[in-house]
This record gives sequence, structure tokens and C-alpha cells, in this order.
Amino acid sequence: MASAIPTFTKIGKVIRLNKHGCTNRPFYHIVVQKTKDNFDGPVIEQVGSYDAMPNSQNEKLVAVNFERVQYWLAQGAGMSNPVAQLLGLSGFLPNHPQTLIQSWKNRREPPRERKLQPIKGIAPPLDNPKI
Amino acid sequence: MFARSSSRIFNVINISCIQSRSARAWVRKPLGSPMAKSKMFRIAPKKFIPADEKAEVKRLYDNYFHQMKSLRHYFFEQSLEQAESGEVAQMKHRLEEEEHIRLMEENRLENEKTAKLREEKLKIQAEKTRENILASLINKEEETRLYEIQIEAFLEKQKTTPFIQAENIEKAIEEALANPVDFNFAIDLDGYVYRGRETAIEKIPEEERERLRSN
Repeated sequence: MASAIPTFTKIGKVIRLNKHGCTNRPFYHIVVQKTKDNFDGPVIEQVGSYDAMPNSQNEKLVAVNFERVQYWLAQGAGMSNPVAQLLGLSGFLPNHPQTLIQSWKNRREPPRERKLQPIKGIAPPLDNPKI
Repeated sequence: MFARSSSRIFNVINISCIQSRSARAWVRKPLGSPMAKSKMFRIAPKKFIPADEKAEVKRLYDNYFHQMKSLRHYFFEQSLEQAESGEVAQMKHRLEEEEHIRLMEENRLENEKTAKLREEKLKIQAEKTRENILASLINKEEETRLYEIQIEAFLEKQKTTPFIQAENIEKAIEEALANPVDFNFAIDLDGYVYRGRETAIEKIPEEERERLRSN
């Protein structure tokens, strides 16, 4: 098929998380970049954000521009694992195996000790802090 | 202990040409150095994963990659379709159409212009060739006429020259024997003939002067 060939050549671009934010307060930008560039280097396009710290409602907020993600995937961009997992959880892509593996491992092993306390608010506290 | 042989600055590893007095960041152990005593007999712990879990993991990943591959195909085809039928594509199409019509019109006008010029040129050329042909025909006629005249003159000349026919032959022989031709004579630039021993024409009397004429 003629459509098979262009999608499989590597175009050198990748959708991945760039860590911004401050000490003890990470904040990720979901970003399209050239593979060679650093996290603080030039960015082709920002396609979303991911806040790793749960908010007062115990939610980790993720924003994704699905149209642009689809465009870049059509162009042949790669994806890092975390981005693939987030998109799988959102329902845009199929669930990444890593989410399933991690979930059954969490059920098996006891959770480890955390430095940061989860924020206590209206929502009940976290059962499994690994999630 | 180890020299400042490796450093990672500006994303370049192992260049010691950049000097600095502050503490150096440790990037990697120098390549020729021996293993540390604490690490000499260390065996890295290998994680044991049961076979069924491995199989399950493999199945999950195979399915996932298969699905991702097909999704990428699908996205690519969607992008192609959109490129054909999206708004930008439609506008492009419209502009291209207009451009095409304009250029075709221009081409048509240009063709007409050149066709007119060509026709005029051809007319002039046709005239010229016709004149040429006429002139050459006339010339040809002239030449044939002159040729015929010449031929006639020649024939006349030939007819009038006294040829010796079969019946005249005896008579001609008798005549030739009776009138011998003497070629022992000299000739002047004016054509006067000197048969005797005289060298000036004034010495010869008028009645006996001979003159050859070129006809």
C-alpha cells in the first residue's frame, strides 16, 4: 500500500513531556520537539500539559489538543511512554500495557513510603499513592 | 587520582580543552581505569519474572503495537483526505482554477496575435515566391528561344558550308589537284598576307594585297 511507506520513516520528531515548574513542584508540558533537542531547547509546538501534583479535588489535571496530536501522529512523530500512557488513559489511544502492568504490580506489592503528603481536602485521601 | 580527561559540557563528552576552576561534574568513569574494590565481585540482581507473566506482558505489547500501527495508518489516510477536501485545499483549488483560466485566456490571445503575424508573413512570402516563379518561367522561355535561334543559325551555317558528298568526291579531288594551296606565307598583326620576300605592306602594290579577315 502506498500509504504504508510514509508513516514508517522516522521524521525525527517526538511528542513527549518537558518538565517545567520549580523545586518540589514539577509541571510538565506535552510538547512536539525534534528528538535531538534538549528539554529546554526549541519546541515545535505545545500540545498539552500535565500537572503531576494532585489539586484540592485530588485530581491530576491533563490537557491535550487531540487534533494536533492526530496531525503529528499522521506526520509520523514518535511518542514517549508517559505521553502514550496519558493518551491511553484519556481514551484517545488504546491503553498502554504499562498502565495495566503497573496496576497489577500495585495491587501485589505494598506501597512505598512517600516524602510528600497527599493534599487533604473534600475528596477522600488516596488509597494507593502510586496512582 | 584520575586526570580531568572526561567532561560533559555543551552536550559534548570527553573534551578537556575547556578550562574551569570550579568543581567538575562527574560524567563517567575514565575508560582505562580499573574496577573499584567494592564493585569487583558484585553480581547485579536479576529480576525473576514468571513465564505466564512474561507471556501476558508480551501479548499486551503485541496487541498494543498492532493497534498503534493501524491507528497511525488511519491517521495518515485521514490527513490525506483532509488535505484533499479541507477548507484550505478548497481555496487552493479555487485559486488554481482561476489562475488556470486566466493563463489559458492569455495563451489564446497570444496565439491569435502570432497567428495574425504569421498569416501576413506567409502572404508576403507567397507573393514573393509567385513572382520568383513567374520570373524564372519567363527566363526559361527566353533561354529556350535564344537556344533555338542559335541552333537554327548553327544548322544554317552547317548547311551552307560546302561538305563533300559522295557524288561530289571525284570533282572535289580534281579541283583540289588543280588548285594546290600554298601555306608558305607570313601574316601581319593587321591581317595582311606576305607570300613573297617583301616584309612591309607598302612595298606590295595595292592590287596584289591580300588580307585575311576574322569573320
